[in-house]
Amino acid sequence: MSEKNHNVSRRQFLTYTLMGVGGFMGSAMIMPMVRFAVDPILRAEAASDMYELTEVENLTDEPQSFPLSFEQDDGWVTQQVEETVWAYLDGEDVVALSPVCTHLGCTVSFGGDESNPDQFFCPCHFGRFEQDGTNVPGTPPTEPLHRYEHEVRDGIVYVGRPQSQQ
Amino acid sequence: MKRGKGMKFVGDSRIPDREHRMKNIPKDYSEYPGKTEAFFPNYLLKEWLVGAVFLIGFLCLTIAHPAPLEQEADPNATGYIPVPDWFFLFLYQLLKYEAAAGAFTVLGTVVIPGLAFGALMLAPWLDKGPERRLSKRPIATGMMLLGFISVAYLTWEAADQHEWGGAASIDDDVREIDTTHPGYDIYVEESCIACHGDNMEGTAMGPDLYDLAYDEEGVAQIVVEGIGEMPAVIDADQTEEIETISEYVVSGGGTNEGAGGAEGDEDAEDTDDDEEDEDADE
Amino acid sequence: MLQRIYDWIDDRIDITPIWRDIADHEVPEHVNPGHHFSAFVYCFGGLTFFTVVIQILSGMFLTMYYVPDIVNAHASVEYLQSEVAFGMIVRGMHHWGASVVIVMMFLHTLRVFFTGSYKKPREINWVVGVLIFFVILGLGFTGYLLPWDMKAYFATQVGLEIAISVPVIGDLLGELLAGGEIIGAQTLTRFFAIHVFFLPGALLGLIAVHFIMIRRQGISGPL
Repeated sequence: MSEKNHNVSRRQFLTYTLMGVGGFMGSAMIMPMVRFAVDPILRAEAASDMYELTEVENLTDEPQSFPLSFEQDDGWVTQQVEETVWAYLDGEDVVALSPVCTHLGCTVSFGGDESNPDQFFCPCHFGRFEQDGTNVPGTPPTEPLHRYEHEVRDGIVYVGRPQSQQ
Repeated sequence: MKRGKGMKFVGDSRIPDREHRMKNIPKDYSEYPGKTEAFFPNYLLKEWLVGAVFLIGFLCLTIAHPAPLEQEADPNATGYIPVPDWFFLFLYQLLKYEAAAGAFTVLGTVVIPGLAFGALMLAPWLDKGPERRLSKRPIATGMMLLGFISVAYLTWEAADQHEWGGAASIDDDVREIDTTHPGYDIYVEESCIACHGDNMEGTAMGPDLYDLAYDEEGVAQIVVEGIGEMPAVIDADQTEEIETISEYVVSGGGTNEGAGGAEGDEDAEDTDDDEEDEDADE
Repeated sequence: MLQRIYDWIDDRIDITPIWRDIADHEVPEHVNPGHHFSAFVYCFGGLTFFTVVIQILSGMFLTMYYVPDIVNAHASVEYLQSEVAFGMIVRGMHHWGASVVIVMMFLHTLRVFFTGSYKKPREINWVVGVLIFFVILGLGFTGYLLPWDMKAYFATQVGLEIAISVPVIGDLLGELLAGGEIIGAQTLTRFFAIHVFFLPGALLGLIAVHFIMIRRQGISGPL
């Protein structure tokens, strides 16, 4: 029996089988690990609750920062988290803005830049936002500050999670 | 594996018998015309001497400058201006520029660094000529110098624009204020805490409140009327609240030793606070 | 006695050729600072490796005290730095070593570039070297979250936002790195795993390939 008489020689067949078994071993080993590693992305998002922020009468036309404290689940840790919310009254409407800069996630503050006292300012890359959260063109951020979902019940402002305005 | 005639092996292994093995004799370099020498031990000794000097310098550095450790991460710290380690500063600075920000953020975060590092990786194929001398390959040399200078410049600019002092002041002098004092409730309720920090340590929006230059009357006036960027926070008719918060603030939240009007807080200045002060002094 | 131990082992596994090959390889004059002081530029590669060894050793010892958990991480680092004997030095070595590795590696890269040593036939080794560069930068990035101090947290936030700004896959990439939507407990454990197991594994493999290729090709000739 010469190996030349076959389309697939014995050696080739063995090589293919070897690669197949190797591929099986490799993927059977790696697959569970990959699924394990990407699990956080595939988890369904939990519905967000509303948390008490402050009383409506504390709000003015000027944005003020209010501490927001709520419980946050992070894997096996449940933490009491403090966030800052910048809120003001736009006529009758409550506007609650997140201070997380939409450029690269630093923290903005209202009037943080002395030359623009009625804008939000990010000290990292000098991004600026108007009072209503609109990003000032020509500065790094590409979208407005995120706004908190909110509702007013019995004179108290409740906020949910910040939502992108785009 | 050489298997000559008359070759013997150690037992049933494939290791040949001693007389057929390589002799453990150093290679003779005297035949080499230049000053070529053996790696071991001649050259390695020189390398280790350099290494020893380097190690001494390195250890001196670690002893002279303890590794920094800032206060524990607080995701809510609004006043903190982050700055990456120095070797990422150039990228951080690049993102400040208009041409690499806004709608062009992708340019700054992906395209420019991608091109630069891609070109670095593909250098052998971009610069294929046989010449190795710098002067004989001006384009490659020019590109590398340009890259080097721009990275150095960006790093310098970033370091120059960052308020190092600001970051340090948040880092250093945090004292633990007395949260059981009735003044603390007012401090939280009136949102003083948002600008002056959890421990009166100050943030980007407001200064720290330790060792103030004001007495209780001065603080009371500021609380009612506001000062500079600080708005008025308490109505003038709430005299009791004003008195409590003024006393609390002047005492530095119970951390100032011998502060005027802080006599009532002697109990609050327990040993914990003293320890905190010592830590802050270190 | 030592000779007899050597012979006993050599009889069984023939170790002489293995180490004689490393010991006897010739070091040409033009890289030897003993002959030309300017040849000290050829030391940067070796010093990079030396600092990597320091990093691996000090890192191994740091994990004896360090806990990758958001509640305890900062306290454990503070403890090992301020309470444990020589903790200041061991953590200092790891902290400053990170900077020194990058400086040395940068100088080594410049040396290889400016002597044109990456040219044929050494293209593959250059590419491996650049990969080592990336792995080291990755180690630097994942390493500074671990103490869980202010700088760690906020610098990582900026770093993750950069990952998120990558078109198309950015959001997934960011979430995969952070292990969720927030920087928290799962981010810390992830960065710990990447910093301590994944990247060092890749680094050791790449360094081995780097060295084997240097031995096979020899060092590039004088200019």
